[in-house]
Amino acid sequence: MTASRNAQEAVSHRRHLMARNTGTLLERRYAMLGVMLIAPTVVVFCAVIVYPLLSAIYLSFFSIFTPTLQGDFVGLNNYAELLSTGTFWSSLGTTLIWTVGTLSLQILFGVGMALVLHQNMWFRSLARSLILFPYFISTVVAVLVWKWLFNDLYGIMNHFLISLGIISFPMDYLGTMPNAMISVILVGAWKYFPFVVIAVLARLQTIPDQLYEAAKIDGAGPIARFFDVTLPQLRDVLVVIILLRAIWDFKEFDLIFLLTGGGPLNDTQTLPLLVYQEAFALNDMGNASAYAVMMMLIMLVFMLVYIRRTRSEEET
Amino acid sequence: MINGKTSAKGISRRTALKGLAASTALAATPFSIARAQSDVTLRWWSPQAAPAQVEAYQLQIANFKAATGIDVQFETTSDEGYAPQLAAAFSSGEVPDIVTHLPSFAVQSYYANGLIEPFNDVIDAIGADDYFPGANDVFRAADGNYCGTGIGNSAANMLWLRRDLMAAAGIDKAPETWDELRAAVSAMQTGGLFGAPLPYGRNSMTSLIFIGFIHQAGGQVFTPDLDVAIDNEGTRNALEFYREMREFCPPGATNYSWGESLTAFVSGATATGIYTGRVLANVNNQNPGIAEHVTCVRYPRISTDVAPWTFNDFPSVFIPAQSKNIEAAKQFGAFLFDPEGYIKQLHAAPGHVLPVLQSINNNPMYQDNDIIQRYSAEVELMAESAAGGFNLGYESAAHKSNEKAGEIIGSNVISELVQKVVINGDNADTALSDASMAIEAIVKG
Repeated sequence: MTASRNAQEAVSHRRHLMARNTGTLLERRYAMLGVMLIAPTVVVFCAVIVYPLLSAIYLSFFSIFTPTLQGDFVGLNNYAELLSTGTFWSSLGTTLIWTVGTLSLQILFGVGMALVLHQNMWFRSLARSLILFPYFISTVVAVLVWKWLFNDLYGIMNHFLISLGIISFPMDYLGTMPNAMISVILVGAWKYFPFVVIAVLARLQTIPDQLYEAAKIDGAGPIARFFDVTLPQLRDVLVVIILLRAIWDFKEFDLIFLLTGGGPLNDTQTLPLLVYQEAFALNDMGNASAYAVMMMLIMLVFMLVYIRRTRSEEET
Repeated sequence: MINGKTSAKGISRRTALKGLAASTALAATPFSIARAQSDVTLRWWSPQAAPAQVEAYQLQIANFKAATGIDVQFETTSDEGYAPQLAAAFSSGEVPDIVTHLPSFAVQSYYANGLIEPFNDVIDAIGADDYFPGANDVFRAADGNYCGTGIGNSAANMLWLRRDLMAAAGIDKAPETWDELRAAVSAMQTGGLFGAPLPYGRNSMTSLIFIGFIHQAGGQVFTPDLDVAIDNEGTRNALEFYREMREFCPPGATNYSWGESLTAFVSGATATGIYTGRVLANVNNQNPGIAEHVTCVRYPRISTDVAPWTFNDFPSVFIPAQSKNIEAAKQFGAFLFDPEGYIKQLHAAPGHVLPVLQSINNNPMYQDNDIIQRYSAEVELMAESAAGGFNLGYESAAHKSNEKAGEIIGSNVISELVQKVVINGDNADTALSDASMAIEAIVKG
């Protein structure tokens, strides 16, 4: 009797073990499949994000001649020098002026244009397509066009202003301050405001008409409807747009480099231009990497806010 | 299948003769290249890539391929962009096999860091005795080797004038001194016409041109032993004169580089110009109405007691040491001076890039060019000026070769000095002291 029970228990135990082993094997296979499916993404991520990032941090501890990538370990000297000299801080200030200036105008123009394009108007589809033109055009082409518009001798801007009697002598748009910074900010706003238009227009189309009807019944005029209905509805999308565009504008290089080269003096030299100058004009890749790492740390703040924001949206 | 008949139809008699001439030229070179290396493709970089120049390069490439079977791929870089592109190329090991038209000081800097192949045997293959005397001095490195050679000369700071405007303003001779220049541009500047297109931008042109002004005032940036010496009376006088000239320049000159400065004169917006001989071709092509009035002289200096100083960036040829086809690249380097292709290359921008070989300068084929014949006096003067020209890497015959010149130009220290004094109105002594310290820091590394 006892022997029979023991035998039954042993069989039951074996079955249990087999079932458990089978489950584990399946799970392992699934896990393996998961790893294999995600591996290409991880490899690409490591190659284009992790490796350059670690490489930049590593290089920032050396004094390195760019063409040979040979140099000596200097520890934190690059950072100490960077923080103690005025160049970094003045370029950071310039970067913030550029970012805040151009971003504000992008939001202003973008929201305004999205509101216009949301109305029932002739050629609305065509207008919606054309408005994207500055965003899609190559930066090099855009800058060439604007440099001709700004040209002191043949530019249409000066010609227009002189013929209107507003100025009597051609203006220098890119070679003196504050004109250079204002011009760069305006061109940046023109180039990137369509991104805001696209995002805001998409959100405007999802706002229920009932909200506007209710507001009208309550006696709200167009301005009140904008501030009490439209703007609160746009708030979430605007926060995301501002965070993304702030990150992108903060690291903008080609537009400023091609328009002013950072001049006059260093007055439009933002941090990306400073990194470029250190790396390739002065051939000091170590110092350039230190500047780049500092930029990354500053942008990390924006990224953390963005991640936190999107996470909280997902939770709600 | 290609039979003899088809082949004969595909190649003209002229092409066949060209190929024969090229093969003969190559046979004279000492490089041991096996013929018909169809698997080798050389990469050739140059910032000089106007359409007519590229067309000339393609002829040289075709002739070289006909003679050797080696193909060459031409790739464009730029005056402002070559440094980052080459830095990336050197650091990755993916270098071009041959590079042309970069300034001599860049070549010296790369050679000093072991990035360039010595060029002695190529110079020998071209014919060292055929060069104008001293033409290769600027390429002699500290170890006694040549780091490259000149593919041409350039007189980049010639003063371009218009005789019609001078006559209208009652100016009977070209200015030789700064006082005369100031008076001349003042007289010629009338409504809508500016006196001069001097660059005041934060860029390499402003630095390179202003170094000329320093020397034209009797100053220097470095001593012959390469101690920093920019803080001198000559530089102060140059800054003062450059500041005074601002009122005769277009408002946008604060952002001018080579292209804008050239266009301002060629289009007729300024009475004088400062550039190489490219002015001649551009005026004839783009504004022929003023072509008969255009002439050039050496840029004026503070007084006739100071010798003229011509800025020659010594457009170069060199071969990166990491090239996997060094022997083929050397053969191509020598082949670039084969008369047919070299003359076509020089004719692509007559007067802009001037020959470094005496045999080419005296070659009837070279002289057989409308612009060179029409402006023979100007071309002759530019050739003479360029032959005695200098740049920051080689400030005078007494100066050592300066390996830091490229970084100093790239740092914009000198153009910023100009902007501080001229645009911001900063104290010249303070600005000079700052510039001097900045250059010192670059030199020390």
